[in-house]
Amino acid sequence: MIFIAPATLGFVVFYIWPTLRGAYLSFTEYSLLSAPKFNGLANYERMVQDSFFWNALGVTVEYVVINIGVQTVLAVGIAMLMYRLTKSITVRAVILAPYLVANVVVALVWYWMLDVQVGIVNTFLGWVGIDPVAFFGDSHWAIPTVAGINVWRHMGYTALLVFAGLQTIPKYVYEAAEVDGSTEWKTFWRITLPLLRPVLVMVLVVTMIGSFQIFDTVAVTTQGGPINATRVIYYYIYERAFTRFDFGYASAMALVLFAILAVVSLLQLRLLRAKESDLA
Amino acid sequence: MTLNRRTLLKAGLAALAVPAVAACNNGAAARGDGEIIYWLWDSAQLPMYTECAKVFHEQNPQYSVKIEQYGWNDYWSKLVTGFISDTAPDVFTGHSSKYPLFADKGQVLAIDDYVAKDNVDLGIYQKGLADRWIGADGKRYGLPKDWDTEVYFYNSAFTEAAGISTEQLNSMTWNPKDGGTFEQIVRRLTVDSKGRRGDQPGFDKDNVKVYGLGYADAGGGDGQTSWSWYAAINGWKYSEGEPWGTKFFYGDPKFTETIGWWRGLITKGYMPTYAQAKSGVDVTTSFGAGKYAITPNGSWMLGTYGTLKQVKTKLARLPIGPVGKRMSMMNGLADTIWAGTTRRDASWAWVKFLGSQTAQDIVAKAGVVFPAVAASMPAAKAAFAKSGWDVTPFLEPVEAGDVFPYPANPNAADVTAVMTPAMESVMSFEAEPGSLAKANDDVNKILSANT
Amino acid sequence: MTRQVSVGRTVAWILLFVLLIVTLFPFYWMLRTAFSDNTQLPGHPNSLLPVETTLGAFKRVLGLASIEEAQAQGGSGAAVNFWLYLRNSLVVATITTVCQVFFSAMAAYAFARLRWPGRDKVFALFLAALMVPPIFTTLPNFVLIKNLGLLNSFAGIILPGAFMTPFAIFFLRQFFLSINRELEEAAMIDGAGHRRIFFGLIIPMSAAPIATLAILTYINSWNDYFWPLLVGQQENVRVLTVALGVFRSQTPQGGPDWAGLMAATLIAALPMIILFLAFAKRITNSIGFSGIK
Repeated sequence: MIFIAPATLGFVVFYIWPTLRGAYLSFTEYSLLSAPKFNGLANYERMVQDSFFWNALGVTVEYVVINIGVQTVLAVGIAMLMYRLTKSITVRAVILAPYLVANVVVALVWYWMLDVQVGIVNTFLGWVGIDPVAFFGDSHWAIPTVAGINVWRHMGYTALLVFAGLQTIPKYVYEAAEVDGSTEWKTFWRITLPLLRPVLVMVLVVTMIGSFQIFDTVAVTTQGGPINATRVIYYYIYERAFTRFDFGYASAMALVLFAILAVVSLLQLRLLRAKESDLA
Repeated sequence: MTLNRRTLLKAGLAALAVPAVAACNNGAAARGDGEIIYWLWDSAQLPMYTECAKVFHEQNPQYSVKIEQYGWNDYWSKLVTGFISDTAPDVFTGHSSKYPLFADKGQVLAIDDYVAKDNVDLGIYQKGLADRWIGADGKRYGLPKDWDTEVYFYNSAFTEAAGISTEQLNSMTWNPKDGGTFEQIVRRLTVDSKGRRGDQPGFDKDNVKVYGLGYADAGGGDGQTSWSWYAAINGWKYSEGEPWGTKFFYGDPKFTETIGWWRGLITKGYMPTYAQAKSGVDVTTSFGAGKYAITPNGSWMLGTYGTLKQVKTKLARLPIGPVGKRMSMMNGLADTIWAGTTRRDASWAWVKFLGSQTAQDIVAKAGVVFPAVAASMPAAKAAFAKSGWDVTPFLEPVEAGDVFPYPANPNAADVTAVMTPAMESVMSFEAEPGSLAKANDDVNKILSANT
Repeated sequence: MTRQVSVGRTVAWILLFVLLIVTLFPFYWMLRTAFSDNTQLPGHPNSLLPVETTLGAFKRVLGLASIEEAQAQGGSGAAVNFWLYLRNSLVVATITTVCQVFFSAMAAYAFARLRWPGRDKVFALFLAALMVPPIFTTLPNFVLIKNLGLLNSFAGIILPGAFMTPFAIFFLRQFFLSINRELEEAAMIDGAGHRRIFFGLIIPMSAAPIATLAILTYINSWNDYFWPLLVGQQENVRVLTVALGVFRSQTPQGGPDWAGLMAATLIAALPMIILFLAFAKRITNSIGFSGIK
């Protein structure tokens, strides 16, 4: 029991207690600046009718799909490239470098680089004859742009997690495959990917949860706009809680977000049978 | 379990001990009774307020002030956290979009008694300014420290190349039908990629190199630096009973025709599309890169425009409209006292000092903002002149009394949440200006629900 | 190796190269901006080289420029005591990382290897903590830290992250799961207790994942902004990110001091790049002798 005692302490004090409190507040009318008033299910009833809420959910899902899809493929690709091609620490350091820069700064740098009038990226596009793209201002581009920025920051991080997983695959497995005359491509699908499963599941669950909570990039760049194109759920919750002082309603939405994440993660874990490892 | 408890315990204790020791060194230092904490968000103003604090301490040796500065967003988050946890600063800089709610929730201190007791002369401030800090409940929540209005910042190299004189720029007219001489000037200042001007034959509105008019955003519910003055000189008011509006008028034809005209500039190619305008770092950066000839903006931006060294920036008056005069929004900041402070007298002394001419002369001389005390204004004018700005266009509407207030309201954030997407939809041509009537209904519904 | 494979390798190298370019270009852009004169930047948006090359931005970040100089270059009027903030960041990130990784590893071991009733349910609960929206935790935690009298102390900044993060436990558990049980059972037969297995077997064998986790934890803790801003504002505990926040936002509509911001970001990232290079060597080494490969 001593093994989990410290973790449990931190868990109860800094996670369980605040969550229970948040859950309670979701049944209240609470402006942050005056005492909470119990109002039953009123917040949840409002949520059902709140078109902003549904829009925010939709936008968030769009973001998660793009972000996770692109990021996972790239990360596994990079990890494989690093694993098969080079043991160079410099390459690894470079790949991780974007993660060293804080979210907010990453967003600011790209905001500047992707500016439609003075951004360097649109200058490059101009050189190859492409008209400037209003990355943040065009409602069709805004979410993919935000997702792309976060892929840039996180792909090295994710690749490193996958890479750590690759390192735990024993060499003899590959040697056996080579003896059988398996091609590199086949080896990847038949051996590497299945053996990578425990790590991959973890990476997917963790990045998915993080992805649903996208906030910083939106707060720095589009602030929910244009119109409501990037008003992702967490940004909307934040707006409700801290600029509109509707903390009770924000708590209710946060709790729903929590429930959605729990279901999605559970499904992922079930579907991918993360519990057992193929090696154990 | 065969784990050696002692070892673990030791490890655990060691881990805890380090922060604990650190806590002893750095734990919240007890503050003296006379020391108050003051917050502001503008780091450019930090030096002059530090100077104010020094003078204040010399005059009132029993009091001292510790100044803390946080960037705009952090400032409000930290302030709210402070309210909830009893750690807010004794005195802080307030903003008209925020303080009504704080007052409504009893977080800021009404200072009427102090003002009466000390016979504070409210007549020293620019006309109307002190009254902005009387809340919807009729109580006074702050003494004004500065004020701002809007003008056009223009690139004088562009206007000279277009053959537009300073006189023309300063005597523009406007109406919602054809935009008056203002629109003619904007049209002339717009240049396409082949060098043809907006009023020349063959002008290609789809390939514009320099837009006559830039804008930062769709303006939300206040349009402070985007459309507020056009609507005002068209005879429109935000709400019934300004500034504490109980019923808004965003559906009024005077307003919708103004917005209809404004977005028409996009169709004509004189203004970038909404997507382009919002896909930029900010309007001043694009202005500094020579993409805009004219950008409207507030007086607090003088410093930022001043750092744009590649362009020669000058100021022009806002246009005269159908109501027969120019009008500008006038807004400002004030110092407010947190209701939970345990140092009320010290806090009041500091607020009173910041609202006095002594302090505002210091502020004025720094040449960053316009002081609220009218008599400090010449010093500010001189300071701005030293940086090459003739700030008269900002002053004129104030002196003439042709100003209107920021639409203050305890529900301002809710109003913004409705109006921002609504205005964005109109400006990106996804909705007609007529749709603002629906947004207006939503706004009024919020107001009636919360009162 | 067949010819086919070497074509594949060439393509792979090209792919990697392209990825590296995409990864690095923004950094070049940051460097270029950091060495530029802030007041000249907007006028030359497309210049690939620094505009009016100057060290002014770095001087501002390191606190070597006077406030008047800084403001003349479009910077802020706040003083910066760089070395003190650097020290604070090192203290906070180091203690957080050591505590968090160690305690999480213990818990992860308990979840991966020890058998006790309700284990999987408790693990699921811990996992659920991963999904707790930060909006729930920030305010209560702040009030708690304040009630403990730990505002403006390192303890206050460190405490919430010191015991565990759900991610760290989840991460390590997955790796502990994939460790071959036979080695452990052999050790058991030799009479080793859980403590010896944990310290003597599990930890050395998981050196690579633990080091990876430690690096990621360090980076996260280093980059943490909002919590230290709330809890540790006073000079003596102010961390680098909080202090450099001043380069980010000054007035609501004004643009940030771009050159200063980029210089600040690069300087703040530098210690971690050094750390990573040092640690990465150790990771590769540890893989060499950990015996499972």
